[in-house]
Amino acid sequence: MVKIRYLLVGGLIVIIGIFAFFYFFPNEEKKVKKQFHLLSEWVSKSPEENAFTMLQKIKNIGTLFDERCELKAPSQSLSGSYTREEISTYAGSARSHLSQLDLKFYDFHIFFPEKEIAKVTLTGRLTGRSGTGEQVDETRELECVLKKIERKWLFSEIEVVEVLKK
Amino acid sequence: MGIDSKIRQFFFPSLTPKFLIRVCLVALLAYLFFGYLCIPFTIQGMSMEPTYHNGGVNFCWRVRYLFSEPRRYDVITVRFAGSKVMLLKRVVALEDEQVEFRDGKLFIDGKEMEEPYVRLPCHWNLPPRRVEKDCVYVIGDNRSMPIENHHFGQASKNRIVGVPLW
Repeated sequence: MVKIRYLLVGGLIVIIGIFAFFYFFPNEEKKVKKQFHLLSEWVSKSPEENAFTMLQKIKNIGTLFDERCELKAPSQSLSGSYTREEISTYAGSARSHLSQLDLKFYDFHIFFPEKEIAKVTLTGRLTGRSGTGEQVDETRELECVLKKIERKWLFSEIEVVEVLKK
Repeated sequence: MGIDSKIRQFFFPSLTPKFLIRVCLVALLAYLFFGYLCIPFTIQGMSMEPTYHNGGVNFCWRVRYLFSEPRRYDVITVRFAGSKVMLLKRVVALEDEQVEFRDGKLFIDGKEMEEPYVRLPCHWNLPPRRVEKDCVYVIGDNRSMPIENHHFGQASKNRIVGVPLW
């Protein structure tokens, strides 16, 4: 009876240990996904957002990107190479035009062609409402490249996949 | 066994091992069939009116093109983003054909095409362009909006998921 009790307690400790290991030492794939979750959190905006939160989020957005990030989009006006400061500025400007904004990412496919490079194909969905009350709902497939710089995964390329070419 | 007990047995079956195995098998088959072969979807948007209505429900039959190629006028589903977002469009041109719109009329290789499924007025103009290899040209049936607001163009055959069941 005592042996069974020790076995159960021991088994429970092992299971907790395994969960703790995966929680506190996430694998690279989880670290990459976390960057997308952070981007989603910092880009999203609620109507009650105050100025301090807004400024903090805009500043944080830039920290997710490499020194220079390449953006490729079907619309040529958006395509180009941007510094992280420019990205923060443009993100802030875009957020100010919308009273409510929600950015979500799902359907992740991550692979590592090299040790410190991650290529991610995923779906991004942007919903929100403009200042004039107009609803925004856009879904796109994205191909992103992240580089591991000083132990952090940073966005270095973002491509909006063009499915239908006119 | 009387009729009453038969009815009771039908609606409240005994939880025997045979019954549970049958339930598991049916659940597994349903998961495989509706998850991979015949995928349910809802239609969002009006680009295929009046053929398919906004809010309509249908199933995507994935095996349609397992041993054949898409033909002109087929309505197909095209993977737009990830595995969950698809476009429902009609094939109007095949690879290496020239597509053109003149005052709302579709021309393929310089020849005007009959389109009885287009019921709403259309005045589009689109210069001629050739469909690339391994691509099909898809477009919605509802062309009453300005051409810039309609999502259409050539899509890679790799992105074709299937056809609507009805």
